[in-house]
Amino acid sequence: MLCGPSGCGKTTLLRHLKRELTPVGTGSGTLKYQGQLLAELSPERAAGEIGMVFQNPDAQIVMDTVWHELAFSMENMGYPPSVMRSRLAEISGLFGLEPLLYKSVHELSGGQKQLLNLASVLLLQPKLLLLDEPTSQLDPVAAREFIGILQRLNEEMSMTIVISEHRLEEVLPLADRVLLLEDGALKAEGSPREMVRRIGKELSSSHLAYLPTAARLFLRLSPEAEYAELNSLPLTVREGKQWLQKRRLLETDAKGMAVAGSVANTGLSTDAEVLLNCREVTFRYEQDGPEVLKKLSLLLFRGELLTIMGGNGAGKSTLLHVISGLAKPQRGKAELAKGVSAGYLAQNPLLYFSQDTVLEELQHMAHYAGMTEAESQHEIAELTAIFQLQDLWGSHPQDISGGQQQKVALAMVLLLKPDILLLDEPTKGLDPGAKENLASLLLHLRSQGASIIIVTHDVEFAARHASRCAMLFDGGITAEGTPESFFSANYFYTTAVNRMVRDWLPQALTIEDVN
Amino acid sequence: MNKGFRSMHPAVALLYYAGLLLFAALLFHPVFLLTEMIGVLSLLLMQRQGRHLLRALPFYLLMAGSVAVMNPLFSHRGANILFYLLDQPITLEAVLYGVMMMLVLLTIFIVFRSYNYTVTTDKFMYLFAAAAPRTALLSLMAIRFVPLFQRRLRQITLIQSTRGINVNSGKLRKRMKDGMTLLKVLLTWSLEEALQSADSMKARGYGIRKRSTYGIYKLDRQDIWILIVLAVSGLCTLLGWLQGYAMLEIYPRMKPAVFSWGEAAMFASFCLFVLTPLGLEGKEKWLWRSSRRSGYPSVTPMKAGIRSMSFRSR
Repeated sequence: MLCGPSGCGKTTLLRHLKRELTPVGTGSGTLKYQGQLLAELSPERAAGEIGMVFQNPDAQIVMDTVWHELAFSMENMGYPPSVMRSRLAEISGLFGLEPLLYKSVHELSGGQKQLLNLASVLLLQPKLLLLDEPTSQLDPVAAREFIGILQRLNEEMSMTIVISEHRLEEVLPLADRVLLLEDGALKAEGSPREMVRRIGKELSSSHLAYLPTAARLFLRLSPEAEYAELNSLPLTVREGKQWLQKRRLLETDAKGMAVAGSVANTGLSTDAEVLLNCREVTFRYEQDGPEVLKKLSLLLFRGELLTIMGGNGAGKSTLLHVISGLAKPQRGKAELAKGVSAGYLAQNPLLYFSQDTVLEELQHMAHYAGMTEAESQHEIAELTAIFQLQDLWGSHPQDISGGQQQKVALAMVLLLKPDILLLDEPTKGLDPGAKENLASLLLHLRSQGASIIIVTHDVEFAARHASRCAMLFDGGITAEGTPESFFSANYFYTTAVNRMVRDWLPQALTIEDVN
Repeated sequence: MNKGFRSMHPAVALLYYAGLLLFAALLFHPVFLLTEMIGVLSLLLMQRQGRHLLRALPFYLLMAGSVAVMNPLFSHRGANILFYLLDQPITLEAVLYGVMMMLVLLTIFIVFRSYNYTVTTDKFMYLFAAAAPRTALLSLMAIRFVPLFQRRLRQITLIQSTRGINVNSGKLRKRMKDGMTLLKVLLTWSLEEALQSADSMKARGYGIRKRSTYGIYKLDRQDIWILIVLAVSGLCTLLGWLQGYAMLEIYPRMKPAVFSWGEAAMFASFCLFVLTPLGLEGKEKWLWRSSRRSGYPSVTPMKAGIRSMSFRSR
C-alpha cells in the first residue's frame, strides 16, 4: 500500500510499474518484472499480467454495455470466443455481475462501474494488480465492497496488489507492507504495525492522519507506545476495543478516560436567525417518476454548519438543487430569508470552469456578481490569500489538481457573496491534509456569518466539524441533532472512535473527545 | 423484450429486411406490394408496435399520398386521357403509376419501421464488426458519446447558469457566445477524460494484436433453418423477377395483368419469404396462450406424472 499527500508521486510511481502508461520524461534506474526488464517484456505479457485500475470510474469505460466492456480487454488480446465465454462466466459469477450484464454502462452506480473496471482487468488474469486510489470517488458502502473484493483476490488467489489510497481505515489493516511517500521519495516503509510505531516515535504529527483511528487513539492514550509489543498495536475497531478493555482492567479507577470538555460546537440555538426554511418540499424529476423528496422540512440558522448524510440516491444532491433554486419543487417551498442568497458548489468542480486561466474565471464571476473593477480586484485578492491560489492565477483550470480545482470553484461561488453555502461532497477524493485545510476554511467563513450546508458521506468529517447533522432517508429528514446526540444514537453510521468507546463514552466522537 | 422474430440471430433479420427492401424496389406489382405491406404490417402489430406506427402514420400517408397526387400532375404519358386540368391532360396510366409509387413508398416506410424495431444498434454492430472490426469499434465508441454528451451538457448548462452563462436569456449575440462557451466546457471536459480512456484502453492491451470479437448471439438450428427457408424462397422470387414476372407495365399503355402459373409459383415463394417471421411470431404467441390454457407456465407437454404436481401447486 502506498500513502502520502496528493502530489507526492504515488500515481507517477504506479504508472511506472505499468509499461504502457509510463509517463514521458527523463528517467534513470531499472524496473524488473519477474527478473526481466519491464521494457523488454512482450506486449502481451505486459498488458495481461500487469493490470491497472484508475481513480475515475467513468473515464476508464470505453464501451456502452457491460458485457461489451468486459469483452473489450479479451478481444484486444485476440482470445477465441470459447475462452472469452468461459472467462466472462467465471468473472460474472465472482463479482455478481450477471444481472447487470446487458445493462447500459451509464445506468450503473459509481461503485458498480469501478467493479466493472476491476473485472475487466481481471479477465486477462493478471499476476500484479495496480490500483490508483480506486475508491476515492465512491461512497463508503461501495468502497467497502470494493476493498472486500480486493481482500478476497489477495487472500484467495494470492494476487499481488499495489494500491494507493486515502481511505486508510479499511485498507491499512489488510496491507502487508506500507510505503509512505513524500516529495517523490520513500519516507518510511514497513508493516502496518511497524509504521504505527515509527510514526508515533519519530515522524511528525502530520503523518498521524495516515493511520487508522484505532492506532491514533492508541498513540494518543499511551505515551509508552514506542515500547509496546508490536502485536499489541491495534489497527481495526475490534482490536482497538479489545485494547481499551484490557487497559480499563489494568486501571482500576476509571478516571483514565473521560470526555475531554464538550466540543466547541454550540449546537442548536433557537434564538438564531432563520436563513432557510424548507416546508414540505416534494420533488420528482419526471412526471411519473418516483418522488425523490417527500414533504421534506428543514430549517437552517445563521452561522451553522449543517451536514446532511444519507445513502446513495437518497436525494441529497437534489435537495441542494432545490435549495439553490436550480430545481423547482412540485409542492412546498424552499424559502430563503429576505436578502439572503445561496451559493451552490457541485460535486464536480470542472462544471464551473469556462475560461482559460484561473484569474479569468474569478474575474468573470466577479463581473457577473456586479462588482466594479476596484471591488473585484480587492475581493479576488482577498479570496486568493485565503485560498492560497496566488501561484495558480495563470494556469488553466483543467491543469491543476482536484483539490485545487475545488478551491477555485469554491472561491468563484464565494465571489457571489452567498449567505448560505451549499457544498456537495466537498471531501471526496481529498487527502487528509486537504480535508483539514477545507475545514479551517469553512470555519473561517462561518466566523464571518455564513451558514453552510454540506452533503457528505464522510462521517468523520461531519462529526468533527458540523454544528448539526441530519439524516436524509426516503425523501425526508429522519433524524437530526448535534453531532454528539446524532451519532451516539446511531449504531453503525457513526465514527470509528465512537464505535470503539461507546460502551464507556457514548458521547465521544473524535480522538480529541477521549482522554 | 426479446421474443419471437426479434430474438433470432441478427443475420436472419438482416437477410429478411434486405430481401424486403430489394423486392419493394424491384417488384412493381400491386399484389406483391400489398402482400409485402400487409405482411410487415401484421408483423408490427403482432409485436405490439401498432401504437408507435399510428403515431408516424400521418407523416407516411402525407409523403406517399403527395407522390400519388403529384405524378399525374407532372407526368402526361399514357393513352387514356381522363380529363383536362388547366389544359393539362390527366391520364389514367399516370394516376395508376402514382398509386403504385405510393404503395412502394408506404411499403418501404413500414419495412424501415419494422427494421428499426427488430435490428437494434448493437445487433447491427455485431454484424458490422464481422466485416470491419476496427471501424465497428470506433463507431460503437462514437455512438456511446451521443447520450453521454447530452447528459453532460445538461449538467453544464445547469451549473453555468449560476454564473450567468445561459442560452435562454439576453441578446442573440450573448446567447450565441454563451452557447459556444457551454460547448467549450463540454469539449474540454470530454477531451480531458478521453485521455484517461485512451490510457485505460492501452493498459488493457488495445492494438497489440488483431482483435477477436465476442458475440452474445448464437446461431442455433432454428436460425439456420429459417435462414435456408428465407434464402431459397428469396432466390426463387428473384428468379421469377428475372423471368419478367411481377412487373406491371403501365406506360405507355397498361397491359392486362395475366396471372400465369409461373407467376403464381413466384407469388407462393414470395409469400413464404414475407410471412415466415410472421409465422414465428404467431407460433410463439400460440405456445404461450396454449400453455396458459393448460395451466403450465411453460410449453412442457402434459404428462400423466406431472399432472398431479400441477394440481398440488394449485
